[in-house]
Amino acid sequence: MHIRVARVDDLQGMQACNLQNLPENYTMKYYLYHLMTWPSLSYVAQDDDGKIVGYILAKMEEETEEGEDTHGHVTSISVLRSHRRLGLAKKLMIQSQEAMASIYRAAYVSLHVRKSNRAALGLYKDTLGFTVKEIEKKYYADGEDAYSCVLSLKDK
Amino acid sequence: MASKAASKRALTPKEASLFKELLTLYETKQLKKGVKTADQILKKFPDHGETLCMKGLILAHMGQRDEGKELVKKGMRLDLTSHIVWHVFGLIQKGEKNYEEALKSYTQALRFDKDNMNILRDAAHLQTQLRLYDGLVETRHTLLKLRPTLRQHWTGLAVAHYLNGNLEQAKNVLEKYESILKNVPDYDVEHSETLLYHVRILEELGEYSEALNLLDTNAKERAIVDKTAIMEFRARLLSKLELSEAEHAWRVLIDHNSENHEYYKGYLSCKGLSLDEKSLEALKDLSSQLPKASVPRRLALTLASEDDFKNLARPYITSGLTKGIPSLFVDIKSLYSDQSKLQAIQDIVEDIRKEAETQSQTSDKSADPSMYVWTLYFLAQHYSFLSQHSHALEIIELAISHTPTLPELYMFKARILKRAGDLLGASRSMEDARLLDGQDRFLNTKSAKYRLRAGLVDEASTLLGMFTKKDAPSPGADLEDMQSLLYLLEEADAHRRNGKPNLALKKYLAVQKIFNEIEDDQYDFHGYCLRKFNINIYLNLLSWEDNLRSQPAYIKTAIRASEIFVAVHDDPKIATAASSGSQLTDAEKKAKKKAKKAAQKVQEEVKKPTATSSNEDKGLEPPTPKDDDPDGFKVLACSDPLEQAAKLLQPLTKLAKNNIEAWIAVYDVAIRRKKLLQAIQALNHARALDAENPELHLRIIHARKTASSIQPPSSVGSVFTEQLNEILTSEVSLDTYNSQFLQKHSTSPGAILACAKASQELGATREEVENTVFGILGEEVKLDVETAIASLSFLDSLKSPRKDELRASLDKKFELSTLFKPATELAALKESVLAPPASRETDGQVDTVI
Repeated sequence: MHIRVARVDDLQGMQACNLQNLPENYTMKYYLYHLMTWPSLSYVAQDDDGKIVGYILAKMEEETEEGEDTHGHVTSISVLRSHRRLGLAKKLMIQSQEAMASIYRAAYVSLHVRKSNRAALGLYKDTLGFTVKEIEKKYYADGEDAYSCVLSLKDK
Repeated sequence: MASKAASKRALTPKEASLFKELLTLYETKQLKKGVKTADQILKKFPDHGETLCMKGLILAHMGQRDEGKELVKKGMRLDLTSHIVWHVFGLIQKGEKNYEEALKSYTQALRFDKDNMNILRDAAHLQTQLRLYDGLVETRHTLLKLRPTLRQHWTGLAVAHYLNGNLEQAKNVLEKYESILKNVPDYDVEHSETLLYHVRILEELGEYSEALNLLDTNAKERAIVDKTAIMEFRARLLSKLELSEAEHAWRVLIDHNSENHEYYKGYLSCKGLSLDEKSLEALKDLSSQLPKASVPRRLALTLASEDDFKNLARPYITSGLTKGIPSLFVDIKSLYSDQSKLQAIQDIVEDIRKEAETQSQTSDKSADPSMYVWTLYFLAQHYSFLSQHSHALEIIELAISHTPTLPELYMFKARILKRAGDLLGASRSMEDARLLDGQDRFLNTKSAKYRLRAGLVDEASTLLGMFTKKDAPSPGADLEDMQSLLYLLEEADAHRRNGKPNLALKKYLAVQKIFNEIEDDQYDFHGYCLRKFNINIYLNLLSWEDNLRSQPAYIKTAIRASEIFVAVHDDPKIATAASSGSQLTDAEKKAKKKAKKAAQKVQEEVKKPTATSSNEDKGLEPPTPKDDDPDGFKVLACSDPLEQAAKLLQPLTKLAKNNIEAWIAVYDVAIRRKKLLQAIQALNHARALDAENPELHLRIIHARKTASSIQPPSSVGSVFTEQLNEILTSEVSLDTYNSQFLQKHSTSPGAILACAKASQELGATREEVENTVFGILGEEVKLDVETAIASLSFLDSLKSPRKDELRASLDKKFELSTLFKPATELAALKESVLAPPASRETDGQVDTVI
């Protein structure tokens, strides 16, 4: 296994991984936008054959409200089923968080998860230490609610 | 003339100020007001070219493209020396992605207003998109001269020099820039990125000390803030300078991210260790210092041998099996290239299995049922890897009966069956896996893929639809919008195998379209990244885009689509047969209806806002036109299939030079387009890659036959014949050449089939051709499924009465395969695959039985 910062030539692999795992998908332009704006926040896990088996696509929140701390946001994170139980999600998340804190001085990181996605919520809460901040009604295009989760990056 | 134009351009003071207002309204995208203001001017000056153009531009933004474009053209004719009209025209062309023409318009605009910053900036973006770097340097230079206080004008020029291959100049510009820069705030990410770009240039120039110096100074002053980038640059530069600090630098990186392979490689090579057994001690140290890191443990397995290997492999494997890591086999299978490691691993895992089985018999409490299953799972993969399909199948069945609730087991059973040619059984098993966890899109995708492999296209679509957007015209349409190459490739191939070249072509071309989109995607970043000062990543983007079409998905779809175009050129009946013979299944009809409805809806939505009611900016990109050829009949029956194919293949001649299939496809198209030089070059390229390739053999014979019909002998024709003579001298008859090839490759099924095809071309009787084909059944021949299928369909094309005989023999030969079953049997099999799952015997008795 090989974990490193995402490169431009990883994006199609990340896109393929995302399409295989998650119902929220994006066109290449959106992946490019992430990397071209925050080139050090997204990470990939690559197997021996060079295939992308996990990724974290991350950004800084651009529209922060008055008085709100600068913070990072995880747009998408997933690991192929065939490569679970290796702790990859956590390792990817940690690398991205460190970069958010050290480059952009992010105070915390946020992410959204579908209310119905219990497995993912478990991962974020129990393994990665996120807490649920609030429920965002009808966050997803199909009308489903989202848990808005946050994790403080202070004292790191 | 010029003065006449100028006088036509002149407005009275009131209108002149209105025109200024019009420009502002456009800039601020107040479109409705813009149109009103333009109309006010036009009332008094109906022939004012610039106003007409501006109005046209605004209308285009509001979605009234055709009307807008008409106005722009009219306005241009009235005032050909205005920079505004040329600028507007350029914007419209750029919106249509016609970059070459847009740049020409911008160049015209600059003739009449050479210092216009907006136009210069847009021109720079177009020059970058078109990779016209000489011109880019000039444009950037002008911009910097016009406004040197704008920071991005400096970096912009440095980037232009860099792209133009002049790193020295790029460096000079940056040095000058940094020396005059004042008041950079702390923690300025933009400046940090600029400095990292400077370091990169120095590194690429080989000026490592200078690079390191710049890096260290600015890291200390916190001018560079990207910690990981600093550490990586530092370690690499120290290594290149062979300084002793390098080892420490890599070690720090390992602590920072202990799963990065490169860091370990860097660290070991600093210690004077290459990746061999000498590194083992160092890796053992690292493993104990970093108990959670997998890389040093895994790397040690690659480097160790004999007893060392066994001692390291056992805990590694045991830990993986205990944790139930599904990827354990995939992780270590690359070790199998070493036969002794393969054997050692087999012994270890068989050992673990025996232990578990004994423990369970003595009902030892310490027995771990889950580990036992993962052990069986591993062994099944192991024996499948060794092509012992039946053995692998036995083991996986055992595992399934032990733990019937684990999707991974069914997934692997599916894989074994697929490899053995039982595509329907494989699909059944993959669906069983999916049914165990319907919420998992990974399983869903796999099951759909296996259905596509088995030719069950509609059934696959039903599955895919569980995760695609509900409001999409079809599951496939959503996946296409989301640029799923996997889906498009699999479905295209399924259509191809199912004998639907129109639908296959449609999907292959959809992949090509995605690559066009990604190429266009870069445009916006030419300005964006310079504004953000994210230069290093931007440069990587450009070089990635330059090589975009070297990717397997592009190459494969270009070749397959080209093959279909060539086939339909050779036999236009393919197109008519496809459109007339298409009896739609019910599901297809339904899907079509739904797609039509959705398309109508889209169409209506496009039409709606024609009234000038909305201020909404629709941009200058034309909306995607409705697909009036959803089934691909029109494109299959196009009037210029060879030109279409040539266009698709064009990038391959540069980006897929080592792909023999690509050169063969290039030959097929070129020879039919009578591009003899290109054809013979393609043959030569292919020969250099693999002179004995069966498909190439067919082309050489084809070329020789074509050569004899070339007349009159043009100069190109004679080059063609000369070079062909070097490949195959005309003294040898083609029959002899063909039979010599067959003798030489008597055990290669591909060669046998190629020779059969060639002999048919050369006029052999059908009986002779059939006899040759049956050669693939010879004992010495290592027959593969693909060639077997191709042989069968070749006999079909000959209307051979022996086709069924061959099918029956193949059915016997490929025991587990369902590919060669008679049609009646196959129908029954399909039904059983799609039937709801038999209730499993598992209820109640899960997991605990060992």
